[in-house]
Formats: sequence, C-alpha cells, structure tokens
Amino acid sequence: MTGDEAADQKKLARGSLFKRHENLTVLAIFIGFVVIIVLLQLIMWGGHKFPTFITPVNLLNILQQVGVPGIVAVGMTIVMISGGIDLSVGMLASLVSIVTALGISKWHLGIGLSILAGVMSAVVLESLMGYIISRTKVEPFLVTLGGMITFQGIALLLCNSREVIMKGELDFFKLNLIQGAKDPVTGLNLIIPPYVLIFFVIALLAGLLLNYTKYGRRIYAVGTNPHAAYLAGINVKNMKLSVYIIMGFLVGIGGVMLLSRINTGIITLGQGLEIDSIAMVVIGGTALKGGKGNIVGTLIGVFFLGSIGNAMNMLRLPSEVQFVAKGLVVIIAVSAGDVSARVSGFISRRKELRWRAAQPVAKAG
Amino acid sequence: MSEILKLRNISKTFPGVLALQNISFDLSEGEVHCLCGENGAGKSTLIKILSGAYQPDEGGEIIFDGRKVVLNPHLAIRMGIQTIYQEHVVFENLNIVENIFTGSEIARRGLLQKREMRKQTVEVLKYLKSDLNPDMKMGELSSGEQKTVEIAKGLVFKRRVIILDEPTASFSSVEIDNLLDIIQTVKSSGLGIIYISHHLEEVFKVGDRVTVLRDGRKVSMYDLDGLTKTTLIKDMVGRDPSTFYQRESVPIGNVVFETRNVTGNGAQNISFILRRGEILGIAGMTGSGRSELMNVLFGSAPLDFGEILIHGKIVKHSSPKAAIKNKMCFITEDRQNTGLFLPQTIAQNVTVANLVNTREFVVREADDSRIGDRFVKLLKIKTNDSRSRVVNLSGGNQQKVVLAKWFNTNGDIFIFDEPTLGIDVGSKQEIYKVMVDLLKQGKAIIMVSSDMPEVISMSDRVIIMKSGEKVAELSADEVSEENILTYSIGDKAI
Repeated sequence: MTGDEAADQKKLARGSLFKRHENLTVLAIFIGFVVIIVLLQLIMWGGHKFPTFITPVNLLNILQQVGVPGIVAVGMTIVMISGGIDLSVGMLASLVSIVTALGISKWHLGIGLSILAGVMSAVVLESLMGYIISRTKVEPFLVTLGGMITFQGIALLLCNSREVIMKGELDFFKLNLIQGAKDPVTGLNLIIPPYVLIFFVIALLAGLLLNYTKYGRRIYAVGTNPHAAYLAGINVKNMKLSVYIIMGFLVGIGGVMLLSRINTGIITLGQGLEIDSIAMVVIGGTALKGGKGNIVGTLIGVFFLGSIGNAMNMLRLPSEVQFVAKGLVVIIAVSAGDVSARVSGFISRRKELRWRAAQPVAKAG
Repeated sequence: MSEILKLRNISKTFPGVLALQNISFDLSEGEVHCLCGENGAGKSTLIKILSGAYQPDEGGEIIFDGRKVVLNPHLAIRMGIQTIYQEHVVFENLNIVENIFTGSEIARRGLLQKREMRKQTVEVLKYLKSDLNPDMKMGELSSGEQKTVEIAKGLVFKRRVIILDEPTASFSSVEIDNLLDIIQTVKSSGLGIIYISHHLEEVFKVGDRVTVLRDGRKVSMYDLDGLTKTTLIKDMVGRDPSTFYQRESVPIGNVVFETRNVTGNGAQNISFILRRGEILGIAGMTGSGRSELMNVLFGSAPLDFGEILIHGKIVKHSSPKAAIKNKMCFITEDRQNTGLFLPQTIAQNVTVANLVNTREFVVREADDSRIGDRFVKLLKIKTNDSRSRVVNLSGGNQQKVVLAKWFNTNGDIFIFDEPTLGIDVGSKQEIYKVMVDLLKQGKAIIMVSSDMPEVISMSDRVIIMKSGEKVAELSADEVSEENILTYSIGDKAI
C-alpha cells in the first residue's frame, strides 16, 4: 500500500459514521439533543435525591415507548429517501392489530398464523398503494391519505367498530430479556422487552441495506433524480413499489407489537403513528423531497422525540402542552437542519474553490 | 412607414463568450423583419435584449420611437414590445379571456369587468379571422391556437412590436399557413414584427426584410423581394477556421449498430448504420427530432415500428436497462436533469449506471471511491477527490462525470447528445480527445450536435434530420456547413 492509499483508507475510516459534511445536519441535531437532555436532567434533579431522567430504568422506559414508532420510522426513512411518503401507517397498524387479534380470539387461527395474517394484510395493502404510486403520477401524499381513510374503514368493518380483546396470547413479546437486573441507582427492575431488540435489529439491517447494498444505492438515486436514475438503467417503478412493500412489512411487525403491549385490538392503537414517525424521520435530517437521509439520523430523531415526550411526562406537563412542545421541537429541529445544511454547503463549496484556486492554471485550448 | 425600433452597436459579452458584436437592426411599422442564423448565432441573445431580459454592453443604443431607452422586462411590455417565446408560457387551466388579461385585468373598484374583457377578446379574435371560442381552456388548444391567442393578446393591448421566436416548431402545415395569414393581418394594422425561424420557406413567405447573424455578428441585411435561398444560406455559413478542431483519424471497422425504419417518439423511418471506430454526426435544427430518436434507440421512449440491430442481431430495448446491458451508453443533452445526481458525490455518480452489470448485492464505498478517483485522474476532473459533490463542479467537469459514469459500464456504442453544450473551450477540446480515444478502443459513437464546427470536425459521416425524418446522409468529403444547412433548413429538393 502506498502512502497515498494509506491516507485514503484513513480518510475513509474516519468518515464512516459522520461522513464529512454529509451528516453535519444530523450532528448538529445530535448536539442539540445532548444539550437538551443535560438541561432536562438539571431541571429534574433539583431538590431530589436521585437524578430521575438519566437513569437506566428511565432510559429503558424511553426505549419501550419508542420501539414501535421507531420500527415504523425506519420504514418511513426508506420510503422518504426514495422520494415518497406514507400517511397510512397509523391506521394500517391499527388494522394489523385488529386482524391479528381477530385471528387469535375469533377466527382461532392460532398465534403464528394470526400474526402472519396481520403482517401480510399490511404488506398486501402497502403493495397496492405502492403499485398505484409507482405506475401513475399521483402524489404519494394523496394515495396514502386515501389509504389511511380506507384502512380505517376496513379495520372498523372487521371489528364492527368494537375492540377485540385477547387473553394475553402475545405476552411472550412482553417478556423481560434481562429478568432480575436491577437499577443500581433506584433499585427498580430493569426491563428490555423483545420488541426493543427487534427495533434495533431492524434499524441495523435497514442501515446496512441503505449504505452497503446495490439496492440502497438505487433508492438514493431514485430519490435524487428519478429521470437520471431511469436512464442509468434503474427500474424506477419497481424500486418505488419495493419501498412500500418493505414499509408494509415493518408496519405489520409494528402493529403486532402494539397489540402485544395492551392485549386489545382497537382502532386507536396506531393513531398518530404517521405523525410521530414522520416527525422522527425529518428531525433526523431526511429530506421530504427524497435522496437525502440515513438511519443514524432517524435513530437520533427517534430517541430525541421519545426523550422529549418522556421528560414532559416526568415534568407532569398536561398533554395539551406536550403537543405544542413536540410540534415546536419538530419545527426547530428542521430549521436547524436547514441552517446546518447551508453551512455545510458553504464549507464544501469554499473547499472546492480553494482547491481549484491552488491548481496551476490549465491552459485552455 | 415610420421606424419604431432602432438598435445601434449592440454587443453582449458573457464571461468568456462574446455573444453579440456591434449589431444594428431596424424595424418599421407594418413590417415583418426576419432574423436568420444557425443555432448559436446570437438570435436568442438579441431577442432577450429586446425584451429587456439582458442589458447590452456599454455603448449600445436602443431607440424606441425616436427616444433612447434602457429596457427592463416590465418597461419593454409597457412600451409595447411583446415577446412570444418558443415554449408557451400560458395558464392551462384558465380560458382564453383570462389568459389574455391575467396580470392586466380590467377592473372597476376591484371588481373584474368580465363582460368588457370578453368583448375585447372576441373583437380581436374576429379581426384575426379566428373561430376560437373565448371560453375554451388554454390547455385544450393546439400549439397553433395557443400562438394565435398570444398574438391576440398583443393586439388587445395595442402593442407596437411583436417578437415571434420559432413560432412554428411542432406545428402542422395547416397551422403554419394559418399563422402566416394572421401575421399578414397583424402587419397590416401597423405593428412591427420580428420573426425568427429556421424554416426559410416561412421567411420568404411572410418577411419583408431579413437580417443574417453568424457567430454573434451581423453578416447582411436584405429585402426579401428577389432574394434567393442560396444567397441567404451562403451568408449563414462561412465560419472562422479557428473554431474547428483537428481530429485524429481512426481506422474504421465493421458494422456494430444499425437501425431499420425506426419510427417512434416523433422520429420517422430512420435507417442508418454505424461502424466501429466511427463518429456518426446527427445534424439538424432544434426540434428536428434528433434527441427524440436517441431516446428511442436507448429504450427510454417507445419504438413504434422498425428494428434496431447490434452486431447484426435484432434487439428490443424496452427500457434503458436493456440498452445498457447491450453495451449502449447515452450522454444526454441536459446533464443536470437527466444525467447527474447533483447532491451526490462523484464516486456515487460514476458507479450508478454500472449497478445493472454488477452481480454483488453488497457495494463497498472504498471500491466506489477507487473507481471514482481513477476517472478523476483519467479524465482530469478538476476536484480534490471523488468524494466531492457534483453540484459544486463546473459545467465541463460535470460533463466529464457523466462520461465517467458511462465509461464505467464498459459500453461499446456511445450516444452523445450535444456533448459540449455550455462548456468552456478548454474542456471542449478535452472531451473531443476523450471521444477520439474511445474510437481508438474500437468503440462507435453517434453524436447529436447543433454546434456546426463540432459536427464538421468530429464526424466521419453526417445524417441530417428535419421534422423527424432523415433528409440526407453526407459522407466525409460532402460534409460542409453549406450542405448541412441547406438540408436542415431548406427545401428537401435542394
């Protein structure tokens, strides 16, 4: 290896997590996140014996709260990088929970088959929307808006607008993976349910898929410039279809997880999931117009929004105030992202210009 | 006839380019003054100066109705100069009346006077002998009818000068005749008309005078009465030899690509062959269907009829993917919109088209960077490394990234659509050299170009297209500016 190559390798290794300016946006948000956490910690510490926010038990608590929205946010990241969006995920998750619950308690399909039915219903419905989106020029926003309303209707028809109660058949999803572990500070039980683990596995797989595979490259290409992608030999239509199929699969898993948490299939289960997951994704620096974003950013967005919600609960803020605060957080984070994107654009342009100025003048002609 | 408009000593420089040099131009009432010249002769720049979009360089004078003026787009319209561009700038969802009056509505105390606006529209349409219903939506009209509406707008607002830039592109022959009739009517009401067209037949039918531009200079001005087409064409050609590039010759091999009666996407019945080591130039005026044909060949537009053969075998290109697998490459005309992923890095841009040919599911960034860096060196792309974003590069370097993208697919048959559009002279020469290098490696090139020196100096053979059809094929010793121009703008019979 020559010296040049060694330097190249080093540059590459250093650039892997926060690739040059690529993730400056996300980095800025991450720093903001840390600052806010420390502030919250200080606020809540005041007068008490223990810090309440940054404790193992509370951090795990946050993970439990964000597990399902996180799974959906991972899917949303992929969809949005490809230039799409999906508003139907909330109602679709409710539909999944109702189908699964019905399968178990009314149709007696058995647990495995019921879960499969739930997940498959999401995959099929998302595929249909994906088919329409990829084969027509209708905006994904409108197709999935229609999907959201339709899925709500289907779900209500299936359960006759009633809730479907189970007898804890899915409780194995609530098992504690670290049974017996205690918080060294407060002495409370520590809990990591399987779906938190599933969330991390999915995020890891999606991150690898986007960064290190041909498929991932193509998703970015389609999101950046669909026409150029088509002329570069990429099957743009099928790429668009595929992201919705992935989304369906993840919403299916998310819906089953939601169901396992409260043992009841009900239409309100997935309410607001689309809003939360889109908020998490955009906080993480993924652009609404496609082509930009990554899973690391989304993970930060997931923890960010989850922590804020959790902290506000601990501060006993009424839910009305929480909505206002969450909304403002989204707006501030996205604006911060824009500012840092400009800064990074400016830096890279200046670097390029400086480099060009340093070159010997090329003789024209 | 009194003069409305006078231009004196109009020059316009852009960084590195002298687009117009000392142009003088006059327009009288009731006159149609035509502007002729090849692509890039400076016609568009002149129009933009007249419409106020560009300011001429120091020393140029625009005299309107005997007064010296400095134009801006608003002032130009207020004084009565209306420019009708090639592409329609219309509100498709509004009707004819609304289209005419949007922005200058007739209103009394904030209330629209719809009846009054409709009345004026009807009067003008009647005057133009048009049977258009003023309530029709603009989007429902043909492009000929839309032109009529734009001209009607000029009459409604009593404009003094109407500029028509390539008005008949994409017109049927009936529509052309209609438009020329309308122009005669408008002319008789005392307006001055500036008419720009590639079609000499139209120029002779409708024009009173003609000014010929070449390389930004005014070559001549004639009364069209008694003028011959040959004189006109002679004036349009005749470039400075220094604008030509001396190309190395490369031995030509067997046929690698062939089309038989290819029809689709506006191209009609195109047959040609392409040999190894050869550049086949495709000349013609803008809108002659050249890019459209290339899209058919590359599978990005449907082939209605005919056959495409690669190495003697008939191929079906249902998508660009199939074409790439058949070792074709397509350097498109509009690199920013159809060739590049601007926010992404050079390495990512270079490797994207070859994804079709790679079997591995996993891609490694280190590999991409190595490939990217190799091309940065090979094509002398001016940047510090292949992880820079393409958006920050200059036009010439962006074009090299597009080339690298296709070189990386290891293709054999290259389509270059306007290979050096908007590129500085230095990069142009480098790209020409790269093209010759391709030939030496045994590749073959189809080159669409509107740049006359480029066509002449680079091509081994030239096909000329007009209105979607192939009108001539010239061998190397027949290729000359005059011949190309004669076929691309003149009558087929010449």
